[in-house]
Amino acid sequence: MFSFEKQTRTPIAMILSLSAKVLATPLVILMTLASAAQAESVLRRANDLSFGGSESLDPISANRFYEVNDLIYSRLIRQDVDGRPAPELAQTWTANATATEWTLTLLPGVTFHDGSAFDAADVKFTLERVKDPALESPVTDVLGFIEAVDVIDPLTARIRLSTPHAGLPLLLMDYRVRMLPEGAAAPYGVGTGPFKLDSFDPESTTILSANTAYWEGAPKLDKIEFTAIPDSEARNQAMLGGQIDYNGLTRDQEPLYAGNPDFTVQSYPAGGWFGIAFQSNQPPLDDPRIRKALRIAVDRAEMLALMTGEGNGIVSCDTPVMASDPFRANLDCPQDIAGAKALLAQAGYPDGIDIEVFTADLEPGMVQYAEVYQQQVAKAGIRVKLTVAPSDGYWDDIWLQKNAVTSWSQRPADQFLNEAYRSGGAWNESHFANATFDALLDQARATLDIDKARALYVQAQEILFNEGGTLIAYQENGRRVMTSRVTGIAPQDEDYIRWHLVGMAE
Amino acid sequence: MRGARPLAVPQVLHDVLAQRSGRIGFVIVCLHLSVAVAAPMIAPQDPAHQDAAAMLQSPSLAHWFGTDRLGRDVFSRTLLGGREAMLIATLATVIAMAWGSALGILAALIGGRTDAIVMRFVDAMMSIPWILMVMLFVAALGSSSVALVPVLGFSYGLSVVYLARAATLDFVTRDFVVAAQIRGHSRWSIAATELLPNVQDSLAVQGAMQWSWILLAVSSLSFLGMGVAPPTPDWGQMIADARGIMQRAPWALIWPMLALSSLVIGMNLAVDAWARATGVERNRRVPGA
Repeated sequence: MFSFEKQTRTPIAMILSLSAKVLATPLVILMTLASAAQAESVLRRANDLSFGGSESLDPISANRFYEVNDLIYSRLIRQDVDGRPAPELAQTWTANATATEWTLTLLPGVTFHDGSAFDAADVKFTLERVKDPALESPVTDVLGFIEAVDVIDPLTARIRLSTPHAGLPLLLMDYRVRMLPEGAAAPYGVGTGPFKLDSFDPESTTILSANTAYWEGAPKLDKIEFTAIPDSEARNQAMLGGQIDYNGLTRDQEPLYAGNPDFTVQSYPAGGWFGIAFQSNQPPLDDPRIRKALRIAVDRAEMLALMTGEGNGIVSCDTPVMASDPFRANLDCPQDIAGAKALLAQAGYPDGIDIEVFTADLEPGMVQYAEVYQQQVAKAGIRVKLTVAPSDGYWDDIWLQKNAVTSWSQRPADQFLNEAYRSGGAWNESHFANATFDALLDQARATLDIDKARALYVQAQEILFNEGGTLIAYQENGRRVMTSRVTGIAPQDEDYIRWHLVGMAE
Repeated sequence: MRGARPLAVPQVLHDVLAQRSGRIGFVIVCLHLSVAVAAPMIAPQDPAHQDAAAMLQSPSLAHWFGTDRLGRDVFSRTLLGGREAMLIATLATVIAMAWGSALGILAALIGGRTDAIVMRFVDAMMSIPWILMVMLFVAALGSSSVALVPVLGFSYGLSVVYLARAATLDFVTRDFVVAAQIRGHSRWSIAATELLPNVQDSLAVQGAMQWSWILLAVSSLSFLGMGVAPPTPDWGQMIADARGIMQRAPWALIWPMLALSSLVIGMNLAVDAWARATGVERNRRVPGA
């Protein structure tokens, strides 16, 4: 109800009053919005726009929008904290005696975000499209041996393989192999994950809301918002400024949060690494003794400390397999200058050897990795000419062709060993070719007994240490920072986060 | 030689030192050159020595300027960090001045279509930002110091063509040049004996400026990872390495920055004084800026 009062105030008082109202209005709106945001539990994240806006909601696309896909889709099998296969949408999996057929029973009562039921036909659709050449998916290299999927009944699917593979459950843990509804087409976005897609704009803001019908229970968060911030330092500033709640962290950024109670910093074991791929098919590096000398001359513990700081990773004896993987070979490989010199002398280089190593300033640390290597191996008479190549075109023009610093993210043992070391593999960056190694991988794939399979994979990794062409000195821990209100995230790789259990404390 | 005096170093030095800013600039440049020459003898530690136990240490008695992220001594690296860039800048300046001056003087002397073609070529090349041009060359030839010299020499010679031509045009219609032509002197002879002595002041000042611009260019390329290659320490490379840790270890960034900027400023002060003393109007604009 309005009432009109007799105007008794002076013009100045009126102007002041009006100004106060004008100023107060947006403030009130902001406060209302803020309280609404608080009432609604929202986790704000940033995406790095690494595909320049062509981020795809197709989980197997080369441009997959991983952070979002992780939230809206589910896998059949995921890894438990020990890296072993654990049920997700598949409850059980069994192989026939020759590991050429795998039968999966599916979780009943799971629905997609559009309300349709998840069943074996969706598994058939999702796994068979991996081979579709039109999609040009990198996952084809991993699961291309899936010949077909038979729908036995709505909750039973049988996967037929073109070659025996006892490790199929491990490969189904791949972060990209996520279930789509049958017939799904671009732009995709409907899954069975804990969050549903509200709006999608990888160059600006992508908003996800809780899937209250999620099969593991309704998420604690109401929403997760992604804002595109391409620059690592800008993301860090957004984190420091309270504009986002969760972010990855580099070693250099970590000290900015030290002792600040508003933030929680976590470091967790992960499987990413820098390495140097020496071209095993080019003389003189076609001599395995020289390749071994180039690798054993490295002080891996010191390199790990120099590159990542103390306690931020684990030494690797040239195995690409991460520490939590059950198939990792845990060898011992201290720096061996005398051994390296002896190997070089045996190979006809008693006065040391000159080699050229290429790197590029593509990722923080890639140039330094080569600098540390250059310095360490000098003691063994290995004279490294270091060439910093232009970042643009490095993967096309240098990698796979020259001795080059390389960078990999974690993946399961079988996938890694086959993708990066099997003779003739497309990403065999050191052109390593060893028939015994290949045969061991084949045997391991056909071995259903996990302990026997492990012994074979370990043997294969020992061959890599003795004869391989790629130096892998360590695997670096991952780091993240969160506002201290974020709950439910343990210091583990992102792949282990159960996002429906993540919340924001009041 | 008509109306020109020889480029006498003692006279130039005297003119520069007569001015306060010239004295400051001269001292800074001399200090840098002395350090560059003596650095291998006076650097207290091996600049490439990495030490996991001494990473990112603040300045101390053991490490006067602190250590970088690989535990290397920033003081030793700063002392040695300008040598390679100065050497590249010197050689590239010689190349830039040689071809730029020769082409500019000849274009002005010959005139007509030749002049037009030369200058349109130079215009076309100068329309490409220098950093882009250099990056294209580096991508094609590789980023070794040996490749950088001709690349920078070519790229920075373009502006010299302009300057040499403009300076020469003031003289080509003078009587002494016409007389030399009537006497039947060759173009090369006229350029060398009649024109060069008259434009040498402008060119010398330009050359000194080119040197500091090229030094900055080498450092910029090193910053981008395309200049001086490790393990040779270089200021640009040190700045690039330290930029991510400037809040945590500012010393790793400040010293190479101070070294680079003081040398460039010192050179500018000295050249300004020199230009004033000789009455040369120097181009203050950095190419591509």
